[in-house]
Amino acid sequence: MSTTAEIDTAALAPRRRAWWQLLLADRAAALGLLILALIVLGAALAPLIAPHNPYASSRAVMLPPVWEARGTWTHILGTDGQGRDMLSRILYGTRTTLIIGVVAVLVGGIFGSLLGLLSAFYKRIDPYVMRLVDMMLSFPAILLGLALVAVFGPGVVPVIVALAIATIPDCARIARSIAVSVMEQEFIEAGRAVGLSDRALFTRYLMRNCVSSIMIFISLRFGQVILIGAALSFLGLGARPPAAELGMMAAQGRDFLLFAPHIAVIPSVAIFVIVLCANIVGDALRDVLDPRLRG
Amino acid sequence: MLETILNRLLLSIPVLLGVLILGFVLVQVAPGDPARVLAGPAAPPEIVAQIRERMGLDDPMVVQFMRYMGRLMQGDLGRSLISNREVVVELGAAIGPTLELMLACLIWSIPAGISLGTLAAVWRGSLVDRAIMAFSVAGVSLPIFFICLVLIQLVGVKWQLLPFIGRGGPLWTVDGLRHIALPALSLGLIFIGPVARMTRSSVLEVLRLDHVRTARAKGLTERAVIVRHGLRNALIPVITLIGLQAGYLLGGAVVTETIFSYPGIGRLAVGAILSSDFPLTQGAILVLALAFILVNLVVDVLYALLDPRVQKK
Repeated sequence: MSTTAEIDTAALAPRRRAWWQLLLADRAAALGLLILALIVLGAALAPLIAPHNPYASSRAVMLPPVWEARGTWTHILGTDGQGRDMLSRILYGTRTTLIIGVVAVLVGGIFGSLLGLLSAFYKRIDPYVMRLVDMMLSFPAILLGLALVAVFGPGVVPVIVALAIATIPDCARIARSIAVSVMEQEFIEAGRAVGLSDRALFTRYLMRNCVSSIMIFISLRFGQVILIGAALSFLGLGARPPAAELGMMAAQGRDFLLFAPHIAVIPSVAIFVIVLCANIVGDALRDVLDPRLRG
Repeated sequence: MLETILNRLLLSIPVLLGVLILGFVLVQVAPGDPARVLAGPAAPPEIVAQIRERMGLDDPMVVQFMRYMGRLMQGDLGRSLISNREVVVELGAAIGPTLELMLACLIWSIPAGISLGTLAAVWRGSLVDRAIMAFSVAGVSLPIFFICLVLIQLVGVKWQLLPFIGRGGPLWTVDGLRHIALPALSLGLIFIGPVARMTRSSVLEVLRLDHVRTARAKGLTERAVIVRHGLRNALIPVITLIGLQAGYLLGGAVVTETIFSYPGIGRLAVGAILSSDFPLTQGAILVLALAFILVNLVVDVLYALLDPRVQKK
């Protein structure tokens, strides 16, 4: 009977918790994630769960939410200036707002990180790429948005394009700085030594080791992108009526602030909650997965 | 030092060129034929062709771009399609108010953000720290238009303490100050968060360094250690942040000016875009882009001045 067989090595090793366990241990982050999941679910299922047609107006204009004196259960969040059901419009509006943010951040994030990774992988192109990124950085998202809307006219697409382009340079910088440190690791050299092709080295060795850090950056960026998109729609440069979008809905509520503040307040609070949750989850993810990005 | 500045200046040239090309493209792709607009809808095609010829619209793009650059150098940006006033005049009238708004915003929000960030760092982990950090996360998550609307609703309408429409005059007059108070407050509120966060992490980092321990060891008061040895070195990243966040601030200013009907460049740009006033749009975007390039330039130079390590790179 050998003694070594009886030792359970797994029990001796300090138990490492998976990153998602650490994340869920952070109560604020867990709550933020839960709320965000509910919001995404609500937005995705909007056509199924919305109690009314979000575009149909009725005579019941400026009805207050149910918790106020004149509120009714038919329109839980009240109605807007044209008698449209606020709850249904919020569900649809969240959908538009989320789509703008997600598409912009993903497209910009993918192009940006590819640029950054390639720049770290092929050192020859590095100076040129970084010069390009520097140039792009000196053109803020809001200005890009204004310029594109000026050329193509107000709409969701120019706003998404502007926000995506504005995400590229920041993302490229972060991706490059992460990739440069990965490129210095020995396993890259080992991969080269065993004769892996550039392509395999790039996708299997470099990209896989950078992806989580880049995802964190993108999640931190998401809130900002939502805010700029909503601001552009608020100004009348993004989503066009009768579509529902949270920023635009807040703008429509401006005229009724005195008599029916809920028309502007509810969409604004919805934006706030989305961005707040995204920021809290992003911060927590960073602390858990990659404290290097802190700062 | 001079070399750093020159290098940095050289780097802005392609950016500048890019912005100019963008401005040119903006007018090129604008729908509608300017010659047709000028001639009027009833004019016969020969007249339109004549005007096209005279305006040089048939020349190759490169020639047109050079001509556009030439006009730009002379400060000629055309006339607004709506007011028919010269774009340069309109822009000139809007720059001052925007600069005033920026000044009024930064003058309170930067000190406030730095103080809050330092407090949070000094009392790290305490309730104060957590409250300040929660406030700063909330601040960066709030849509700026919501802050504006709430302030208008409470301070302007309900309590009737301050005016909330337009500009009352130059900053040094009482009326000017009263009118700028709410916009500057709104804009500052979204800026405190990032400044406080950056200051906190920067102070925390500096307080760990050796020279701070030496200062403590030689018996300086905690206050002197933090202010003289901690904060002073911690402020360098904060200055960079202000440069990095200039775009964020600009976006806030565009919304704030529009909501408060404050006659600055941001509101001018939004109004011009919404009314398809292409020459004015082009001018406003050019000015905003130039201002942005300039801010980044100044911040980079300032950074090199404050932190000698940067120059060696």
